Amino acid sequence: MNPKKRAVTVAVAGTAAGAIGLGIMAMPAGAGEAPELPSVSAQELVESVLKADPPALSGNVAIDNDLGLPAMPGMAMLNVESARVYHDGDHASRIALEQNGSEVTLVQNGGTAWSYDAADNTATKTTLPENAERKHKAAGQDELADPSSAAATMLDYVRQSSTVAVDGTATVADRAAYELVLTPKPTERTLLREVRIAVDAENRLPLRMSVLTNGTTEPALQIGFTDIDFGPQPADLFEFSPPQGAEVTDSQPRNKPEQLPDKPAGEVTGEGWDSVYVGSVPPETLDRRPDSDGPDARGLLDQFGTRVQGEFGSGYVVSTKVGTALITDDGRFAVGAVPQQVLTEALGTR
Amino acid sequence: MTDATTTLAPAPVARRSHATLGRLVRAELRWIYRRPRTLVVLGLLAAIPVIVGIALTFVGSAGPGGGGGDGASLLATAAGNALVLPIATLAMALNLLLPLSAAMSGSDALAGETAHGTLRGWLLAPVSRGRLLLVKSLGVATFALSAVLVMAATGVLTGFVLNGTDGLVTLSGSTLSLPAALLKVAIAAGWVALQLWAIGAVALAISAWTEHPMVVLASVLGGVIVFSVLQLLDALEWLHPFLLNDSWLALGDVLRDPMPTGGLAEGALRAACYIVIALSIAYAKLSTKDG
Repeated sequence: MNPKKRAVTVAVAGTAAGAIGLGIMAMPAGAGEAPELPSVSAQELVESVLKADPPALSGNVAIDNDLGLPAMPGMAMLNVESARVYHDGDHASRIALEQNGSEVTLVQNGGTAWSYDAADNTATKTTLPENAERKHKAAGQDELADPSSAAATMLDYVRQSSTVAVDGTATVADRAAYELVLTPKPTERTLLREVRIAVDAENRLPLRMSVLTNGTTEPALQIGFTDIDFGPQPADLFEFSPPQGAEVTDSQPRNKPEQLPDKPAGEVTGEGWDSVYVGSVPPETLDRRPDSDGPDARGLLDQFGTRVQGEFGSGYVVSTKVGTALITDDGRFAVGAVPQQVLTEALGTR
Repeated sequence: MTDATTTLAPAPVARRSHATLGRLVRAELRWIYRRPRTLVVLGLLAAIPVIVGIALTFVGSAGPGGGGGDGASLLATAAGNALVLPIATLAMALNLLLPLSAAMSGSDALAGETAHGTLRGWLLAPVSRGRLLLVKSLGVATFALSAVLVMAATGVLTGFVLNGTDGLVTLSGSTLSLPAALLKVAIAAGWVALQLWAIGAVALAISAWTEHPMVVLASVLGGVIVFSVLQLLDALEWLHPFLLNDSWLALGDVLRDPMPTGGLAEGALRAACYIVIALSIAYAKLSTKDG
């Protein structure tokens, strides 16, 4: 072979090999075809999910958020894109919420729960009351004593406003899964099109939840495993001792959730998908500044909301893909996964 | 610099015997490390962790994280932590300074020598073109590795001097023993070096096609900047997996415990793909170059 020919061969072969490698990496993971699984009814599926205990596992959870939320200052906690989850199959779990260049770790082991924030090096210890778990379990057992009747009750309630069906199968994190789909009935006035829950065919563990809105094909919100391994986990994962130099605070769990001083008092009106949370806050909270140097709440609303007027008075509407919020100038508000009109009606009834 | 090249490069011609690969590489390395600019660059890179460490300790926090990429938000954690400092400064320098030094080395290796007429010596010598490329690549790779190691070493030393050897805390809140912490820094340094080899290989490929070192430097730096701008555009999401810097944020994963390996492995594979492409193009050009 003459040198020129050889040079071209090498260049083409090398470039092709590298490009194929890059292409393989660019292929979306888990885009495999739907696996073949024995058919199952919605009730059987829900029942088996309620019956199943989560096995020991470790996995990666990705959170894809396309809600169209405005970027607000002081909401860094929402800026989580993925999390690593570990569970020992019993009571202990560890969740590491990955933020860009930082991490929040939550470790829960029987009676103690720790949270550690690497960004400001603070740790919080919460000692759960010894009987809390048992009580919780006992209370839960009353309701869920019989998973099949619990599933039936739950489905009956959900079916008042939605269509529930097992809609084919999917591959999530390389696992075969059933897709349980909740679709609002046509009479429901909501922004949401459907909620899909992928349930692992073998372990009956929910692997992925997607919320789809009207008029889009990509989920507005999707939380799901990108990879998952079932099997025993090392015990030291579920132990946590705060690092030297970290600021440690002890927090006692409140037996009764205390009424926060400016907790917005409100109630849910409506039922099913178009239920709306209506309430009011003192109007002066709108003038409070979340950050000392940031704009006040009214300024934020000016920035992200749209000024509206109607029978309810005047106020701001903040709309996202999955929900709408309406805040009036005198502090009344309504929030729901509904179009704006439903909110104004809900405010009008008050 | 010119002195060194003129005396060393034609040596194989004079001998007219088959020089061993080891001797060629040694000669190349001597040529690289005798250049004053190599030493100046290494010295400046070594100073960065020291400056960052002192600034974080005595001036206060790095301010609110975010906005400045992974390095910047890691820096918020780096104050008071001897483990994070070297990795955070590597993450920061990987965005521009380290690619710049890799590009400099790659541009000198072929285009620089062509500009001085000293590449002729190599081309006429009884050294196969493949071997010549191998020698040049090893030279660039060694320089990139030494740049990373120098930064990591001064980062570790600065961290130890400022914060002592305890308090080696990961982002997950676990405290590491000294060997485990050094292992993590070594993993980070090795991974950064691999990314730089990919950039160095691209620089070599461009270097083989031109005789102006400035062209190499400008195109590699321009490429790095364009790549980071493209990463910011959500509309081009389909393109991102093809960009070398797509997994550079994964460097922070080294500091998590247990360490997630997915992003790091993907970044390493991506760098390997870039190396294969770039070196094959460099070989194609070099093997047809007239003496």
